[in-house]
Amino acid sequence: MPKSQFIDPSEVRKAGEITFNPIPVNQYSKTVEEEKANFSNEDLMRIYRDMVVIREFETMLNMIKIRGDYNGIAYDHPGPAHLSIGQEAAAVGMAYTLGVEDFIFGSHRSHGEILAKGLSAIAKLSDEQLMNVMESHFDGITFAPVKKGHTGTVKELAIKFLIYGTLAEIFARETGFNKGLGGSMHAFFTPFGVYPNNAIVGGSGDIAVGAALYKKVNRKEGIVVANIGDASMACGPVWEGLTFATMDQFNELWEGDMKGGLPLIINIMNNQYGMGGQTCGETAGYTVAARIGAGLNADQLHAERVDGYNPLAVIDAYKRKRKILEEKRGPVLLDVLTYRYSGHSPSDASSYRSKEEVEAWEAQDSIAWFGKELVKTGVATEEQLTGIKGDTISLMESSMKLAIDLEISPRMDMAKNPNLIGEMMFGNESVDRMEDRAPDVNHPMEENPRVQQLAKKERFAFDENGKAHSKIKTYAYRDGIFEAIVDRFYKDPTLIAYGEENRDWGGAFAVYRGLTEALPYHRLFNSPIAEAAIVGTAIGYAMCGGRVIPEIMYCDFLGRCGDQVFNQLPKWQAMSGNVIKMPVVLRVSVGSKYGAQHSQDWTALTAQIPGLKVVFPATPYDAKGLMNAALQGTDPVIFFESQRLYDMGEMFHKGGVPEGYYEIAIGEPDVKREGTDVTILTIGATLYRAIEAADILQEKYGISAEVIDARSLSPFNYEPVLASIKKTGRILISGDASTRGSFMKEMAQTISELAFDDLDAPPVVVGSRNWITPAYELENSFFPCADWMIDAIHEKMLPLKGHVVKNNFTSAEQIRRNKLGV
Amino acid sequence: MAIPVLMPRQGQSVETCILGEWVKKKGDAVKVGDILFSYETDKASFEEEAKADGILLDVFFAEGDEVPVLVNVAVIGAAGESVDEFRPGGQVAAPVAETAAAAEVVAEKATVPEVKTVSEPSGKVKISPRAKNLAEKSGVAYQQLHGSGPEGRIIERDIEAAAQVMPKLTPLAQEKAKAEGLKVGETTTGLGGKAVAKDLISYNPIYSDDFEVKKLTNMRKLIAKAMHTSLQNSAQLTHHMSADARTIMALRKKYKKALDAGQITQNITINDLVCFAVIKALKKFPQVNTHFIGDSMRWFKKVHLGLAVDTDRGLMVPAIKNADDLSLEGLSGQLQAIAGQCRKGNVSPELLAPEAATFTISNLGNYGVEMFTPVINIPQTAILGVCTIVPRPKDLGDGVYGFVPMMGLSLTYDHQALDGGEATLFLREIKEQIENLVI
Repeated sequence: MPKSQFIDPSEVRKAGEITFNPIPVNQYSKTVEEEKANFSNEDLMRIYRDMVVIREFETMLNMIKIRGDYNGIAYDHPGPAHLSIGQEAAAVGMAYTLGVEDFIFGSHRSHGEILAKGLSAIAKLSDEQLMNVMESHFDGITFAPVKKGHTGTVKELAIKFLIYGTLAEIFARETGFNKGLGGSMHAFFTPFGVYPNNAIVGGSGDIAVGAALYKKVNRKEGIVVANIGDASMACGPVWEGLTFATMDQFNELWEGDMKGGLPLIINIMNNQYGMGGQTCGETAGYTVAARIGAGLNADQLHAERVDGYNPLAVIDAYKRKRKILEEKRGPVLLDVLTYRYSGHSPSDASSYRSKEEVEAWEAQDSIAWFGKELVKTGVATEEQLTGIKGDTISLMESSMKLAIDLEISPRMDMAKNPNLIGEMMFGNESVDRMEDRAPDVNHPMEENPRVQQLAKKERFAFDENGKAHSKIKTYAYRDGIFEAIVDRFYKDPTLIAYGEENRDWGGAFAVYRGLTEALPYHRLFNSPIAEAAIVGTAIGYAMCGGRVIPEIMYCDFLGRCGDQVFNQLPKWQAMSGNVIKMPVVLRVSVGSKYGAQHSQDWTALTAQIPGLKVVFPATPYDAKGLMNAALQGTDPVIFFESQRLYDMGEMFHKGGVPEGYYEIAIGEPDVKREGTDVTILTIGATLYRAIEAADILQEKYGISAEVIDARSLSPFNYEPVLASIKKTGRILISGDASTRGSFMKEMAQTISELAFDDLDAPPVVVGSRNWITPAYELENSFFPCADWMIDAIHEKMLPLKGHVVKNNFTSAEQIRRNKLGV
Repeated sequence: MAIPVLMPRQGQSVETCILGEWVKKKGDAVKVGDILFSYETDKASFEEEAKADGILLDVFFAEGDEVPVLVNVAVIGAAGESVDEFRPGGQVAAPVAETAAAAEVVAEKATVPEVKTVSEPSGKVKISPRAKNLAEKSGVAYQQLHGSGPEGRIIERDIEAAAQVMPKLTPLAQEKAKAEGLKVGETTTGLGGKAVAKDLISYNPIYSDDFEVKKLTNMRKLIAKAMHTSLQNSAQLTHHMSADARTIMALRKKYKKALDAGQITQNITINDLVCFAVIKALKKFPQVNTHFIGDSMRWFKKVHLGLAVDTDRGLMVPAIKNADDLSLEGLSGQLQAIAGQCRKGNVSPELLAPEAATFTISNLGNYGVEMFTPVINIPQTAILGVCTIVPRPKDLGDGVYGFVPMMGLSLTYDHQALDGGEATLFLREIKEQIENLVI
């Protein structure tokens, strides 16, 4: 909360009322004849053709799915096909005015939008630009099959390219737009401004907001359209995205040219069904989806309902709404009314709606109606329309023949290259800045008060006599993270950071203290308490080419952004065939002292998901080095921190934390103390308790423990650990996560396989109990402590002479606890 | 009245704050709400306001000082009031955490851990993969080790300890040594001083494999043990003497004739006659009819005579109880009966115990042995070896020498129990009895 905004009780407590402006519903009333003034015959014919192309494309897919052939060409497509037959006018209307620099995001039912936007882009791009796009995409791999033997114009060739690339993608061919890794529900083609479609309902509801944020913050041309279904308006992340998109601060606090709303259109493709649930009358209460706009901001999101069965009505709306966005008064919400004749998927028997209803909509079919209008108004003849239909069918047939031919359109050769998909998971790039220009900052870095304060701090925890410096004079863990981040803010102009309390307060754990002074609002701001939007928008921001540090404060809030962290952030690099980069460093803090919902270590949840890099530094030196590495890369990194650590000084790295820039390679564990008799491998803040255990083992039992800090969870290099075990023969793995299903267990299992012959005892895991985290005062019976580790070593590895255990690590107890599930 | 200004406590974990800037100076008049000074924690900056009107009488810390929370920083009061009572006692005693200095604690490692072995491994041997590898590498036969790990598992340290005290063998050598009961010879030829199979020896490497190893029978083991124990636990030495056998041979001839004539039923042998004579001698030397049991001796009132009997299964020494009560015929009969039982294997085990006899006779005369050193059946004190009869020249009187049949006698006695003189006198008594035997 900025101090500049004063909440005056006498103002806010006054009586009054909120008034709403009427929300227009299907107000467009022009005839085709009237629109002839605004559109050339060619334009109108193109609109018709685009709708026919989409219809035929999906009809082809439908035939393949239900009959196994299209016009006699047999093919079996086992994958999904969520069709939008009936919605063509809405798609073409949406895309018609959009330029290549305008981005659309879609849903699982977005073939129509992809083709509409692609066809629109082809119409706008020059032949030269088109050739360049086609020839450079995967070095012409997608282009080659259609290029061969083509006679005709470049634009016709580009249309073939669009149809073929999409179809090959749906059929999982390496020649598809994303090497076949995206498929039907995730097909996209960024050179035409088609950004990822999303198989998770409402998945684009926050990602698209992040894309709009990218456009705004980086002063990029174009607007962003989020094509989401009417049913997705029930999804929490969509609401969070809308809340984020309508934050007052864009108008109230952001300064200069940054002042103003996001260039974003929330385009509800309202086909009136969410799978089999009817949003009007059954599963929602808004009746008209446009009503939602009234609840979000004073502009009511400029919401209106548009007749999506008339392409010209939709085009008209887009022309008007674009103006609003150009005036920085966005975002805008459009409720584009439409209908799908096809079921949710080919397996849908449409038992939830009557035949009469489908027939009634078919009777008003937009393509048939628009065709008649064109003939009626003399724009086209019946023969011309039949010709378009015929050409389109030939186009589909030839495209299909190419796309199903395994010689021309092979799948990824996994037999020859078993690691092909593995190579797609991460970019592993090293990039100083995502764009080369001067960053927006408020003052030179050396003038920053925090930077000045840090210059006076002790960068190693102990003085030359081994005596600890006082806490406040010690350069701490939080300072390490700050230094890496502030450095990157001055290097990478695209870098932004946000989350709860990130500005002014400096983050709940004071990592960002000093950044408020250094950065303008658009690079560091407070987000709504909406973790799904915090992460979801970051994904959209990164997808478009920016680097971003979202922060969700407590690890326990990961569940609040589950879809974003588990389904979106990790997937898009590989699903795009590495076209997309995802330079997102998600800061997550593991809590302490705050009980069951604020003290959990959920590292295993993220490390289990393919496509995420997961680190958990425990010292200032590692925190700075790993943050530098995370920010230098272009892959998503879940950066775990711990509230047990923020004020820790550097106790291990001799010479303290370097002032300059350095990176610590993600995935490399670090030996914090050398030993010969037993290895203790720790994750996160448990390091310090392991050191305590190592001291006791040495002093009391003459056992020399080697302590290794994992530092990273994924990727993870086991070699240093195996080398240690070769020496010690024993390993105990400890961390603050509840033991069952933890990453410690993953490590123990892997080590058992890799080091079996070197082991003198099974790898033993000492994690937290499988309980709720109790109050701070009881934490020692929940989190692993030094005496737990020693007891476990005594009980399971190496009986210690004269040792009296305090905790029960016997096999019988282990069996009992598992039986009870605690 | 003067009041102190405290360094506020900002949050539970904050122990000290850094004093930023003094907005008011010592001597300034302050009003409630006036900002006195700024301070900062590691997370944020704050300002402290005056909570009373008055004069800022004194300030105890300078800008930049690190001040523990809840310590007096300044005093506000009326001009002239004393501030001494508010002055913080010691200087800033920042609680500096003593770090567990990584002191080089050279904790004493247990020297050589005790190696415990079990005679027969019971069931499956529990051993860690690492210990097993080490055992194989260092040639330790782990099967007999007692594990010191959890649930008796043999772990690395057990092998390390064993390797220090047990000879190291290659796996093949281990197997061979175990199967054939071989030992490592003085020199080993394997890598790192390890014994390879060819380094194992039985007794003479020249014989190589030209022998068959046969397990000892239990009987043999018992005898071996008894013999070894005997030599280990007593101080044995043997005196030899011979006795004129003419009398005893004449007696034998006489009894043979009587047997052949059917006058008697018992075949009286030379051995029977010797035994009879020895019993008589023992009656005169009760100190020989004894058991030596360390710090005392058992002196027997009766003579229980042990007789060494050679059987297929080995040497047996049954006892004839109360032999001094028997007539010659009785003694002969019993000796014959018990020898038969021994050969058949149905002798009562009680009679075979070394404790059952008080003195033993071992007769090798039949085999032509001229002299030997019998081993005492301890705890008996002595044993008599009877040797073959050989003709020896003898002064027959009046300068006439002739060949006389002489019987060799070898008395082994435990020098712990008897002195040489006593033993010699006893042997001489036996000689006398044999030479002058009267039935």
